[in-house]
Amino acid sequence: MFRFQSLDEDCTLEEEDEGLVEEEDEIDQFNDDTFGAGAINDDWQEEHKRLAELDERDELAAGLSLGGGGTLGGEPDLGGTQHSSSSSSSSRLPPSAGRLPLPSSLPPLGFSSSSSGLPPPDVEDRPGDGDLAESLARLILEADPAIAGVGAAERPGPPPGPGLSGLHGLDQPRVLQQTSSIPHQHPHHPQLPPGPSASGLPPGPPPSSMLSYQQQQHLMRRGTAPMGQMNSHSIWENSMGFGPVSVTPGLVTHMEDSPLMSIIKEVGLPKRPPQGRNDEGRDLSERVPPPRSSSPVIGSPPVRAVPIGTPPKQPMSHALNHQIHHPTAVHVRAPVQHRYPTPFPERLSPNTLLNIANSPLCRGPFPPRVGPVLSQIQRAQLLNSQVAGFPRGGPGPPLLPGGGGFRPFFGGPPPPHGHRMGPPPPHGPPNHTPPIRHNTTHLHPQHRRMLTQRMQSRGGDRGRTGGDRRSRDPYSNLMTQKEKEWVTKIQMMQLQSTDPYLDDYYYQNYYEKMEKRQERERDSSKKEHTTKLITPQVAKVEHTYRPVQFAGSLGKLTVSSVNNPRKMIDAVVTTRTDDEEKREKQVWNKRRQILYTVEKMYSLLLEVQDFEKRFVQTPEEDRDALVEQHKSNTEQLCSSLMEKEWEDRVSDEQCVMIMSVRKGKRLISRLLPFLPSPQATAVVMAIARNLPALAKKDKQDQVLCWLVEPVSTVIQSLSSSSLTDLLQELQGSEGQLATVLHNKFGVTLLYLILSEGERMQSSDPNCQLMDDNRWTELVFSVTRELLSVPSSALSPPLFTPPNLLSLFSRYVDRQRLELLQDKLQMSALSR
Amino acid sequence: MSLLALTLACRCVFQLFYSFFKSLVGKDVVVELKNDLSICGTLHSVDQYLNIKLTDISVTDPEKYPHMLSVKNCFIRGSVVRYVQLPADEVDTQLLQDAARKEAMQQKQ
Repeated sequence: MFRFQSLDEDCTLEEEDEGLVEEEDEIDQFNDDTFGAGAINDDWQEEHKRLAELDERDELAAGLSLGGGGTLGGEPDLGGTQHSSSSSSSSRLPPSAGRLPLPSSLPPLGFSSSSSGLPPPDVEDRPGDGDLAESLARLILEADPAIAGVGAAERPGPPPGPGLSGLHGLDQPRVLQQTSSIPHQHPHHPQLPPGPSASGLPPGPPPSSMLSYQQQQHLMRRGTAPMGQMNSHSIWENSMGFGPVSVTPGLVTHMEDSPLMSIIKEVGLPKRPPQGRNDEGRDLSERVPPPRSSSPVIGSPPVRAVPIGTPPKQPMSHALNHQIHHPTAVHVRAPVQHRYPTPFPERLSPNTLLNIANSPLCRGPFPPRVGPVLSQIQRAQLLNSQVAGFPRGGPGPPLLPGGGGFRPFFGGPPPPHGHRMGPPPPHGPPNHTPPIRHNTTHLHPQHRRMLTQRMQSRGGDRGRTGGDRRSRDPYSNLMTQKEKEWVTKIQMMQLQSTDPYLDDYYYQNYYEKMEKRQERERDSSKKEHTTKLITPQVAKVEHTYRPVQFAGSLGKLTVSSVNNPRKMIDAVVTTRTDDEEKREKQVWNKRRQILYTVEKMYSLLLEVQDFEKRFVQTPEEDRDALVEQHKSNTEQLCSSLMEKEWEDRVSDEQCVMIMSVRKGKRLISRLLPFLPSPQATAVVMAIARNLPALAKKDKQDQVLCWLVEPVSTVIQSLSSSSLTDLLQELQGSEGQLATVLHNKFGVTLLYLILSEGERMQSSDPNCQLMDDNRWTELVFSVTRELLSVPSSALSPPLFTPPNLLSLFSRYVDRQRLELLQDKLQMSALSR
Repeated sequence: MSLLALTLACRCVFQLFYSFFKSLVGKDVVVELKNDLSICGTLHSVDQYLNIKLTDISVTDPEKYPHMLSVKNCFIRGSVVRYVQLPADEVDTQLLQDAARKEAMQQKQ
């Protein structure tokens, strides 16, 4: 139970000077009650009536008091805050045994009526029995920070002494603010043992506190005219206005009981005072959440507790930064240790940079996210890119062309203007507001280039219109910069990784490939490769929306929605005989087996592929282990292709099996470069040997052509005898060649072989190709076949090597040569 | 600190798609939401929860949703996305397969 006492003192305090005397009296009386002999009998019913009347007029006061009470700091703290507040308020009071724990024990109403001399803080003990519920409601409502109002913010005032705060050891910075303002208005009391409470309170200087309270009250009312009535409205007002009044923990729990809450819900907010009152000129809509403060109460223990959720202060954030900076960043390509630059401009601290960078951007449609990893380099880049201005179709953006900031990580020579990152000019926010600001520093330079090109082409015309929209942002300044950074840091910390290459595999590799592709193209074409603007073609189908209806139906029809999805598949059960099922199952099992093998090989392959990259990165000690692992991986890969019994022969069967699956073909094509030469040769042989079968299986997939490149590499490394062997394999049994010629890949392969042979012959006079007749014979048979096969059956190869003509010219006469030429359309040598 | 643990857990599951979507930043995509709304726009950014920010949006199905007329940029929470339609030539499927394999390997460990 709390003591709810509307405070006449309060209202009197709000009076002008004339009321002061009365206040004194009241205060004195309160003193008597609190610290004096005992409870004064008062007619609580009368008081109640009075208060009830006041209540109606006191809506605004309630509002005010709510505002004042708002800084209570939340319910959990309620007891404590109230303790401290009460303590603070009561600190001025002489130790009172009069902290009448029970509301029923009345601090006399006489207080309110008579005592004017009591210092404001003394107005704690109030009888408030009849309106216990109401006062409770008010208390809770006031305690609700959501209803917080202006009042607390403006009450710095000298809080009354240590009081109970020492007792309860509560640090309630915000509440302590309140306490001074609420000194008197405590409808509730903590159920303190009178002794300690009493002892803890040095008598404060009532007059000064009273004055300050008065000032506060004036502040609270924004200097509006004082209340007309002393005893009436102010009771509620002030009682509302307090916040953290001394409430015992028991009281708190009591308050949190459901019946009370229901009461509160019923009662709702206290009624607003009538509009006629002067002090209602305050504009309630101008309330802002009170600033967090840690104003210490004089004499109370120093405020160390920081409200929950406060972002870390500066030093901590620095520490955080350092933690973040030094591990390698996510979005940076795995930097190599020895190439780590020292680009950071010493003059600017990271936070300064961030602030500078962020401030112009706060108004964007998307407040920029701080670079994912706030490394020093990236901040410099951030500053560079953002502050240096965003292109609006204007001068070329200094957006680190060529990825200046990223150069160090390229693995190339240190950038010529890498030191650009040095002193970035921290000039003020750009005077134009680009439509959309992209924080591109974390992106791969290739990506960034593409983006900027795109933005330039699109953004030039839109640049001017966007500015006005952002001039007034109603949501700005809700969070301080530090808070924003703190939240962002939490997010970014999650994205850190020690191995960006592994964690960000797709992204890194994708842009690497793109770069390679572009370089290759540039080299070959020697012209500027512009990025294509790729837009998806969305078919514009004009239709108006008509909800599903049937004529003559009643009510709504069931329409598919998220919770009621439409039927996607018509699963039809087909009955099959046992045999068929068994066969199908077998087939399926086999296929699964193959797929499983393929996947296993793939993981090995990926490891092997990454070996190089990882090798460069690992420190010296670990390198040996890595090499070992690499070797074992390779061996495993090879052995998976080998025969079970003969460990040194490539298993045809296995190869074919693997290649019967599309994935497998892909796998082999990627695997070939990594195999040691003899094995690679053997694999190619196997392919040639089994080409018809493979071709047949490939009818659906048509992906054999993936193999062309790796196979050609292998072929080019073949010896002449192997080459001959290969050609022989290709021709294989009767009619194989015909099948080969049917197939695109086969034709290409054939050409490759022939072309290689030709190259060998023409380049190296000592070539052994002609040593035995095999090669010649084989070529003859090939030409025979080529000529005999109808043109329609001959499938066009992927490409025709240029030297085929010269090859054939060696072996065939002119007539045939021309025929061949026509057939194979080899007229253009430079094809 | 439990917040941190939770977010780290999220991270390892989503890294693949996050990485994938990052490579699509700046491209035009169509996002279909679970409430059947389809939004076409340029992918501005994505985060590890696959929340998507689109700029210059337009609702693809003609104005069944007229309330979107004035919206130019939007933020879409990742959990409400049903599909993201991508330009096919911006995707390297082989690389994506490799990335998926790597992720599987990582998760196994």
